[in-house]
Amino acid sequence: MSKSPKSSPEYGGRVLQGPAPRPRSTIVWRILAIIIGALFVYAGALKVWDPIRFAGDIENYHVLPWSVNVRLAFYLPWLEIICGLALIFRRLYSGALAFLLALLLVFLGVSIAAKVRGIDITCGCFGHVSDQLSFAWHLVLDFAILAAVIVLWRWDRRPYRVEHVGY
Amino acid sequence: MISLLRQCLLILGLALLPAAGQALYLRDKVSWQSPIPASEMVTVANARGWGSDAIWLDARTAEDFEKEHVPGALLLNGERWNELLPQVLANWSPEKRVVVYCSAVGCGSSREVARRLRQEAELKNVFVLEGGWEAWLAEKK
Amino acid sequence: MNLPTKLLLGALFLGISTGAQAQLTWEKTEIELNPPAGAESAVATFKYENKGTTPINIKAVRTSCGCTTAALKKNDVAPGEKGEITATFKPGDNVGVLQKTVTVETDDAKTPQTVLTLKANITQMLVLQPNFVFWQANEDPKPKTIVATAGKGVTIKSLEVTSSTPDFTTKVEPGAAAGEFKIIVQPRETSHQINANLTIKPDSSVSPGKVFNASARVIPGAT
Repeated sequence: MSKSPKSSPEYGGRVLQGPAPRPRSTIVWRILAIIIGALFVYAGALKVWDPIRFAGDIENYHVLPWSVNVRLAFYLPWLEIICGLALIFRRLYSGALAFLLALLLVFLGVSIAAKVRGIDITCGCFGHVSDQLSFAWHLVLDFAILAAVIVLWRWDRRPYRVEHVGY
Repeated sequence: MISLLRQCLLILGLALLPAAGQALYLRDKVSWQSPIPASEMVTVANARGWGSDAIWLDARTAEDFEKEHVPGALLLNGERWNELLPQVLANWSPEKRVVVYCSAVGCGSSREVARRLRQEAELKNVFVLEGGWEAWLAEKK
Repeated sequence: MNLPTKLLLGALFLGISTGAQAQLTWEKTEIELNPPAGAESAVATFKYENKGTTPINIKAVRTSCGCTTAALKKNDVAPGEKGEITATFKPGDNVGVLQKTVTVETDDAKTPQTVLTLKANITQMLVLQPNFVFWQANEDPKPKTIVATAGKGVTIKSLEVTSSTPDFTTKVEPGAAAGEFKIIVQPRETSHQINANLTIKPDSSVSPGKVFNASARVIPGAT
């Protein structure tokens, strides 16, 4: 992190670490974060339950070789759970949002690619619970979650308020 | 607040612990190198140990079968499935174990034959020979 | 000569030399086919063009299996000339997504070998689930059902089922949905070993005369 002149000790200033004092609408964002967090914990838990099946689902997209897919199948669900918990408990919040954003974008990308390539994919974000949803509804759901994560991300990235704590 | 990068690294690390634990716990149940589950493959030694309880199926082409095949094996490949399947089924009984093999070098036929037997004929105890025909030849010596 | 000049000259040289070489370019090196259910072959046409300045000779065209044949009109491709390789794939009784390759060898130094991939989605005209029913010796000879479903886009009006031996009786009933049939199979008794072949003839405009087989058995007890 670069030191702005106003925050260096010589100037006696200090950048307030963290977001600016929050307005009342905070509660809305907190609820949204908890909902999205819980969603990812749920999605991750479903996949943690049967990693071998998840490995098969990843293999279906035919993007990476099996040896990579099977290791991802063990890792990604736990990543989802940790990020979901991070959202709920507001710890490591930015990092979690960053990962969830990345995961959602990658997932959307390979889903669309698979559809274009004509691969029959039956796995959505929620393992095989969402088997009944058509592809279109899958996309709608995924875009909605993506939108929520982007909104949370942008709210979190609000500029810091610089406070001049002077001598 | 910790920097974004440190947060990401922490998250990566935190997720790695339970994932590694789970992977270690299930390490024998997972096929780490190929998509065929370990429970569906059998080594030449084990398959031979089944003796007359095993039905050997050759999933290669008829030419390869004619040249040489596992003694007592029946030919069953995708191209002539409808014609060859009845003979295989006539020899099967529930206590038998089916061992399907084909050339280990880039041949997915044995997997496909095994899959179709499980799915279409609903047979249980269908296995793919690990190492394929080449493994059999090696053990023959 | 300083380094940047050497690099520039080197790049220029490479550019000119590769530009002057022959170049066989392909419109698509991977083609996916979806032949209609019950089709006996699937054909993919791979188009190529010699975008270079020297003629190319196609030395060999090899296929990954005997089930695929590749046809080429002529081996020499003049600069600017276009051509095509027709790959015909006969799936036989194979089903599902099948991938076969055609390897093209040329004397073009830039692309001495190109692998063309043909992916075919083979669906059956009629799917039997399961295609094998059996009873153990002295098991209660209750009827068992084989569900016959018409493939996508295939209309089957009726099914005719005959057993190779009169030891099994067969009955066809309409299934839950259109194009679905229930074949009820029952042995008269299960005291001795019986091996029967059930011949299933669908009445359909697709591949008329094509028959499907299912097996029915009474399996002797372990001795």
